[in-house]
Amino acid sequence: MSALNPIQRLFDWKIRGVRWIEIIGVACVGLMILSVYIAKAGAARESAQIGDLERQIAENRQRVRLLRAEVTRLEQPGRLEALSRGIGLAPLDSRRQAGEAALTELAPQPDPKPVIVEPTVPAASEAAPAPAEREAVQ
Amino acid sequence: MSVHDPHAWPPASHSAPRRIAPGWRWIAELIWRLEHAFERARADARPEEDTRVRIFLIMSAFVAVFVCLALGAAYAALLADRGRFGDAANPGALVRADLVDRNGALLATNITHYGLYIDPTEVWDRGAAARQIKRVLPRVSWSRLNKVLNGERRLIVMPGLTPAEKAAVHDLALGGITFEPEDRRVYPLGASAEHLIGDADTGGQGVSGAELAFNADIRAAGQAGVDYPLSIDIRVQGVLENELAAAALETGAKGAVGVVTDVHTGEVLGMASWPTFDRDQRGAAVEGATLNRFTSAHYEMGSVFKSFTVAAGLDTGRADMDTLFDASAALMVGNRRITDFHAQNKVMTLEEVYLHSSNIGTSRLAIEMGPDVMRNYFQRLGLLDAAPIELKESARPRRPGRWDDSTLASLSFGYGIMITPAQLVAAYGALTNGGRYVPLSLRKGGARHPEIRQVVSQETSLTMLDLMRRNVVRGSGGRAEAPGLRVGGKTGSANKLVGGRYDASHAVGSFAAVFPSDGPVTARRYAIFILVDEPATYPRTGGFVAAPAVGRIADRIAPFLGVQRRADRWRTVTGEAVPQADERAEGAL
Repeated sequence: MSALNPIQRLFDWKIRGVRWIEIIGVACVGLMILSVYIAKAGAARESAQIGDLERQIAENRQRVRLLRAEVTRLEQPGRLEALSRGIGLAPLDSRRQAGEAALTELAPQPDPKPVIVEPTVPAASEAAPAPAEREAVQ
Repeated sequence: MSVHDPHAWPPASHSAPRRIAPGWRWIAELIWRLEHAFERARADARPEEDTRVRIFLIMSAFVAVFVCLALGAAYAALLADRGRFGDAANPGALVRADLVDRNGALLATNITHYGLYIDPTEVWDRGAAARQIKRVLPRVSWSRLNKVLNGERRLIVMPGLTPAEKAAVHDLALGGITFEPEDRRVYPLGASAEHLIGDADTGGQGVSGAELAFNADIRAAGQAGVDYPLSIDIRVQGVLENELAAAALETGAKGAVGVVTDVHTGEVLGMASWPTFDRDQRGAAVEGATLNRFTSAHYEMGSVFKSFTVAAGLDTGRADMDTLFDASAALMVGNRRITDFHAQNKVMTLEEVYLHSSNIGTSRLAIEMGPDVMRNYFQRLGLLDAAPIELKESARPRRPGRWDDSTLASLSFGYGIMITPAQLVAAYGALTNGGRYVPLSLRKGGARHPEIRQVVSQETSLTMLDLMRRNVVRGSGGRAEAPGLRVGGKTGSANKLVGGRYDASHAVGSFAAVFPSDGPVTARRYAIFILVDEPATYPRTGGFVAAPAVGRIADRIAPFLGVQRRADRWRTVTGEAVPQADERAEGAL
């Protein structure tokens, strides 16, 4: 019987005739309802955002498909060839085609220019002319 | 407790005992005992306890149930993958996948179109509405438009409005006009590759061409939201179509066929049939335009068959390059007289027979080999059965009924049997890829689980490549030469049977080529076949009407295929002739 005393006391713990255990239970239920409401409201908001994004993705995807089809239509080989021939273009003559390996044959490296070494001028000549010469120049 | 225990199971009854199944009886006993346990407790003077125990048990049961539900909900919300975004239906799923070429270029796609509906009860001025709609949508039918506008309920005026057309009608801001989206197959390349791609109906099912051949695969790819690639290269296809049309117009032909394949994998890189037609006005197409001549038209091919006869002769050992054939006079087979178109009137080697396209020489060889050998090789080259390509349009050949000497002679130079170009190209692939017959395929990477068979030896294949190259540099195929690409090939010319007689004014000229023809049998190699049906210009032979187109096509597609220009023993890289030893010896004399 002593083991049940704490539980007995919990159930007997009252305020104004109302058991505290019941007040706590009601508070817990209220808290749970509030948290569920918040969670559901958040989920609904995110779901709406996701739906909106998916709709945008679908629209953009459709637009991309449309543009891709339009690009393909404009790039029809027959159309491009007709336009090219209309402005005087034609397939390049094979004799005017070359691979990378043939580039050096087409434009050979220029021969290195001989390096002309300037004759060394004696240090004395680089010195300022003699005062008499300078005056003569002037 | 009285003699009659009211809590005993089963309860006493005045009626006859009912028969209850043992399982139900056990459950009923259990419930009965539990129920009356509280009464027994009350009877034992502990009424306050039995109520609490009862409440406690009920609460325990509810708690257990709600704990299970809470745990399940938490698991589903936090841990389980089911119901998450990744598991949802693919948002990019389509009824049919986009068809693309081997490099990802678009061939066919699904675009949302719109059906135009009008509810006449909401239209204020019907006459003005009709005029405005007709102005922005010229292709709408006047009669249909007026019929709907003068009706009493909402009806469709026109299906398949493009987004631009829909926007134009919408911008009129007329009352009573609505649009219903509808998914439509669109072919933005127009007439390009239309025989190959085929069509799909508005229900999303393929009805012809690759759309029909790969219907299930295309739908599966659409559900997965991925493109479905075909083997063709749109650049090669474009060149092929342009050059084929140019050749057909230049020669005033009734029709023409062209194809480019990879001889090792059997992949079709380009396939064209001329004339073409407008998909939206199929009824207005010229006669035969809707036919895919590559797979469905039969022709007596003429001298391109000499390659098969010569290959069989080489492969069986009945002939080699030095074997001599007397073509100094016409060959009589029974009462039939066989002559040469380019008569040399001399004894010729096998090479000369091939290069001068001697009917007499190949007839002698075929008759010598006999019907069993010829039929065996023709069978293994696929000339007696429909070409094993995915297209449902692939037609069966018209085979000879008898295999006597006259028939063998005819078969040796391409008469007496009508085959499709698809059969011929597959057979030429076998002669030029090392001797393996590889089925043609429109699937990127080649046919799935192909039945490959060895038809001729690798040595025979190499010899045929050499002969075909010689035929371009020294024989009838000179106009197919493309500088540096080592083109080899064989001309074909045949008259068509008109009114029971072969008529020279109704001819077929063709050229079967391969490039590059040098290198080992495993080297990358491509086949080109051009056939011109009933050219109007003279001469009508394949060397004049088809070979030039082959040369131009090889010249233009080589960069796309990565074929490098190189010199060989016959020509320099720019196409100048290389003096040969025998020519130099003759010059010295």
